[in-house]
Amino acid sequence: MDLRYSDADIAFRASARNWLSSNVPSHRRPAHGPEAARFDRDWQRKLFEHGWAGVAWPKEYGGLGLSGLQQVIWYEELARARAPHHINTTYVALMHAGPTLIARGTDAQKAFHLPRILSGESLWCQGFSEPGAGSDLAALTTRGVIEGDEIVVNGAKMWTTDARYADYQELLIRTEPGSERHKGLTWVICDMSLPGIEVKPVRTMMMDAHVNMVFYENVRIPLANVVGEVGKGWSTALATLSFERGLGFIGDQLELAERVERAIELAGKVRTETGKYAIEDESIAQRLAALKADTMAIRAMTLAEIAESDRTGVPGPNGSVMKLMVTATHKALSELAGDLLGWEFLEFDGDRGAHPWTYDYLWSWVFSIAGGTNEIQREIIADRLLNLPKAR
Amino acid sequence: MNLAPDSGEAQIAEAAADFLLGSLGRARLHRVGTADLSAEQRGEVGGLGWFGLALPEQSGGSGLSAVEHALFFREAGRQCAPVDLLAQSLAANMPVGAALRESVLGGAVGVGLAVEDAGTLRVYGNPLAEFAIAVRPQGAALYRMAGVKAETRPSLVPSSTLRVIAGMPPVEAEAELPDLWVLGELATAAMLVGIAEAALELIAEYAKVRETFGRKIGAYQAVRHPCADMLVRIEAARAQLYFAATAIKEAHPSAQAHLDAAKHLANQAALANSDANIQLHGGIGVTEEHDAHLLHKQALLLSRLFGARRAVLANLLHQELAA
Repeated sequence: MDLRYSDADIAFRASARNWLSSNVPSHRRPAHGPEAARFDRDWQRKLFEHGWAGVAWPKEYGGLGLSGLQQVIWYEELARARAPHHINTTYVALMHAGPTLIARGTDAQKAFHLPRILSGESLWCQGFSEPGAGSDLAALTTRGVIEGDEIVVNGAKMWTTDARYADYQELLIRTEPGSERHKGLTWVICDMSLPGIEVKPVRTMMMDAHVNMVFYENVRIPLANVVGEVGKGWSTALATLSFERGLGFIGDQLELAERVERAIELAGKVRTETGKYAIEDESIAQRLAALKADTMAIRAMTLAEIAESDRTGVPGPNGSVMKLMVTATHKALSELAGDLLGWEFLEFDGDRGAHPWTYDYLWSWVFSIAGGTNEIQREIIADRLLNLPKAR
Repeated sequence: MNLAPDSGEAQIAEAAADFLLGSLGRARLHRVGTADLSAEQRGEVGGLGWFGLALPEQSGGSGLSAVEHALFFREAGRQCAPVDLLAQSLAANMPVGAALRESVLGGAVGVGLAVEDAGTLRVYGNPLAEFAIAVRPQGAALYRMAGVKAETRPSLVPSSTLRVIAGMPPVEAEAELPDLWVLGELATAAMLVGIAEAALELIAEYAKVRETFGRKIGAYQAVRHPCADMLVRIEAARAQLYFAATAIKEAHPSAQAHLDAAKHLANQAALANSDANIQLHGGIGVTEEHDAHLLHKQALLLSRLFGARRAVLANLLHQELAA
């Protein structure tokens, strides 16, 4: 085993740190709405123009072609510089649509979409879940009927993050009439400006409406937009989910270490009900130290996983282990921050920039539900890593 | 940067696993009078060089590193190996004469593990051992035990005899070095990771064969989900253990912080996993004939050695981390 960074890694870190030190936006991201999406696009365009977009994407697709380890370094430097959070309206495009197209897309799809994704020109959303198909994704019923060189789509999708700002959607539909479960599905690129699409925002407990319902009425999508094969969409969808469950949260997991340090700083400034500084309270100090140990382990797990995916190209089911570890740590940190902040914790208007700890506390449920609930992650671990008898 | 054992490291781990299963396997603890490391077993372990993995070759060791030391003790943990194994290995790193070092390395003399407790010494290990080693964060002392009066106390932990000594026995050697504590903390963290892993293996195997209500218990989410959580604890503790072992090998500036984090996570993983293993087995899990209690009792001892929860967390809180 070996913890040493190569000269190239060290130089990359120094140059990332140097560039970020004078290029992180000085104004706060707007909390909601199209102006938030504009902020995200502008930041992504800036990264693209200065040669920082797609750190680990292959060079032939406009990325920097660097290693997974250098991607880790990049995210560590983003967190250190307190750069805009990477889970924003560009997230789906960069973290799953892009990698899915690289793995399964046609040359024409790659040539058209990948540069637009990297430059922030195209925002994407995900159309997998439905009102009747959440954890049980294979129960989905949104149907597509092939007519000539088009697929005509009817149905509804649920929990579609940022659908109002997205240009394209990764849409999973049932294209074989009478097919069941994982069979007969197709993964297709849906242009969100097509006629027949209606987006209805769903307000959440976070006092925002980042998620939406999307309705499709006779939406005509070209067959050329199918990613993978017609009827084999489940395989493409699993590739998409493996990116999300594998390294899709890499920015969050590395940022947690930075946030624990901020909580330790905070505990040195605020007082508990006893009048003492919070950091002098042994139970608080122990919780902080335990969280620090958790974030150190998350980093070690990330580095181990990166070595694995640098070797194989695709993240494995270990992503489910990572997601359980990261969401539990996120939640414990958020609860501790609530204890530290006392009454101030209860001031909130939905603005992540203004009330980061409260926002992250509320986000902890999104984190442990979205992208496969923690219960589904445990099922995946039981099936695929522990080979236990099937529950279903 | 590589955080998985390379082929040489993996070979050492495999050889250690085979040897320990064969010579000091957990099954031994179901026979009477098998606590501690006997003089014969000690000679066998020493003859194969396992006591000197991290010791330089010029001192008679294998000249390997903290990484191999950790990999060996992880396997020792799975077998609930007696703590004599660790005491002997640490004593080989003490500044003693060449002849004594050779006797320790080869297992000709024995060393118990001493813990200071309110003016007394609690000594775990073979009561006939000639020496006992007490290790503190900044130094260590090797005591001569011949003729020292010791009171045997009942030991909760089947792998180790416990004796208590009032006052301090004569000192054979002292060292003012943090290195021994580091090797001890690393080895106990590694043994605890081995225990956490063994606990999951036991319940995962049982869940595939035991049936209730007409189904294998591994098909019930009430069993599957706690098993998945056991794996999360293992993966976190093992990744941090590997990170810490490698940081020590490379003299990384934050090695101690990484080690404290590893010990904390290992304490937690071993205690929680060996607990869940008992519970998920149901009634059979509380019987003496089963291994479940052995793992948990061993975890209770090891989680107190070389940094219990409060101590490691207090150390860790304000340490800065270098990249």
